[in-house]
Amino acid sequence: MRRSLLCRLGLLICAIVLLIWSLGPVYWALVTSLSAPTDLVSASPHFFPPHVTFEHYRQLLGATSSFQGSAVQSVWPQFSRALVNSLLTSFMATIVTVGLAAVGAYAFVRLKFPGRDVIFILVVASLAIPAYTVMIPLYRLMVLLKLIDTYFGVTMIYVSAFLPLSLWLMRSVYQSLPLSLEEAAWMDGAGRTYTLFRIILPLAAPGLIASAILTFLSAWGQFMIPLVFSPTLATKPLTVLIPEFVSRNYVDYGLMNAAGILAIIPPIIVVLFLNRYLVQGLMAGSGK
Amino acid sequence: MTSEVVTSETASVNADTARTFNSDRWLGVAFVAPIVIVMGLLVFGPVLVTLWDSLHRIDPMRPGTPFIGVQNYRNLMSDANVLHAWLNTMAYVAFAVILETVGGLAAAILLNKISWGRRWLLAAVVLPWALPPVVNAIVWLWIYNPSYGLLNGILQSTGLIGSYHVWFNDRTTALLLVALVHVWRMLPLSAVILLAALQSIPAELYQAARLDGAGPFRSFSKITLPLISGGLAIALSQSTVFAFNLFDEAWILNGSSLDTRPVLVQVYMSAFQDLRFSYGMALSVLVMFASLLISLVYVLRVYRETRYD
Repeated sequence: MRRSLLCRLGLLICAIVLLIWSLGPVYWALVTSLSAPTDLVSASPHFFPPHVTFEHYRQLLGATSSFQGSAVQSVWPQFSRALVNSLLTSFMATIVTVGLAAVGAYAFVRLKFPGRDVIFILVVASLAIPAYTVMIPLYRLMVLLKLIDTYFGVTMIYVSAFLPLSLWLMRSVYQSLPLSLEEAAWMDGAGRTYTLFRIILPLAAPGLIASAILTFLSAWGQFMIPLVFSPTLATKPLTVLIPEFVSRNYVDYGLMNAAGILAIIPPIIVVLFLNRYLVQGLMAGSGK
Repeated sequence: MTSEVVTSETASVNADTARTFNSDRWLGVAFVAPIVIVMGLLVFGPVLVTLWDSLHRIDPMRPGTPFIGVQNYRNLMSDANVLHAWLNTMAYVAFAVILETVGGLAAAILLNKISWGRRWLLAAVVLPWALPPVVNAIVWLWIYNPSYGLLNGILQSTGLIGSYHVWFNDRTTALLLVALVHVWRMLPLSAVILLAALQSIPAELYQAARLDGAGPFRSFSKITLPLISGGLAIALSQSTVFAFNLFDEAWILNGSSLDTRPVLVQVYMSAFQDLRFSYGMALSVLVMFASLLISLVYVLRVYRETRYD
């Protein structure tokens, strides 16, 4: 009895340590984003903002804002543009990637065609290719096709980067579905395509959601690719815009943390409401 | 009468099989064609071009692109900056693999044991992985700030340090701090992989071990470790490959500083700052082969699976 109490206390302490490790930095960013600039440079750190202010958020989201008494230009035009770019490229990359993976992985599992295994191994092996190995030829290709700084160009590069993981994941999902289901549908006269879209895909929905989440989060957090392929605000995402606040004027940590907090809202929503699928995806995506 | 019906059905099924087998081929090709086009055009084509170009001197500052064989690779071997970057990357890999595996295993064991609020604890553990690496790096940059950072503040108020440190002045500390941000982001992946492995161990094994008089350490080393070895191998190869490809954290936290520059930042510097395209490409080829070699665990697994089904 005493030992189990001690055990539970130990577990509780471990859980608290783990919580502080995982959430502490996020909490600290939130505190920073809500603190007045003068409190940020005080002698000792405050674990709760002494004077809660939305100044930094106003600077990001408002038309004009005041900074330490004087009016400063708001960054809303750039911020809103980058937000739209991030959302658009991430959603488009997700839709295309999941669509290609849903159909392609089915072919890799159930259909026989020449070169099947070789193609699959090559595509999965490409997970180990660092983005910089393909960067220079890819850049020249994109210049040639006039796709630099276009939604289509950036989206397709994202698709080529995140498709292998989705394929790998969807393949393990299809493998776990019983073959007898398809055979039954086929006996009833249903064709392959009909069976896939009407019977298999609804059953594979959790896997589709998982790969959609993995793709969306990877695209949302991408930095290296848009750093090269999105030079202007035409397609520049938040991840490239936010670090630029360093060079503008001076390092405004309040502003950067506020922008960071806004940029992590979509991932937080995903983790809060769809964590089950995310964890399943991570488990299956890493080979079960 | 009955047997006749059965045979005719079997015959029609056989005819169907033959028909679908042939149409299967074309359907398979049609389903996979877009993937082949996208991957071929945007990944495999560029990789081949990189391999070929790395054997030439491609330099926007100098005329012509002569074939120079493995000269780029030979120059890489004696480039002090490149060697320095490889050492930094090795240090990142060592820090990351050790911390992610030990920390991930501890987190996985805790998550496996805990009964209340497990869903929420798991969500909290996974969160850092889901956030954009750039935002993580910025948050930690502020924590590491030499004048007003949280790290200095906490260490000073607990009396561990006398005065504020400029953390990035010391190379080892700087490497560790950059690695720590990477570990913060990647530990969830190791934890989740190992949690899946732990959950596949039947509870009866532990009960049997307890009846046989085995203590918690003995059952950990005799039951848990051997049974999660598959998961451990995957977690290890994953954390190695990701630490190998570390870029964002080093770039945001310390820019191109030689002290913390990993190989991928070195590739970026060679190719895009010094404008020695083919030289940077040669280095990126080496990084690719190193990554491939490490993920061989992974690739071999895929190969085995595709062979036996």
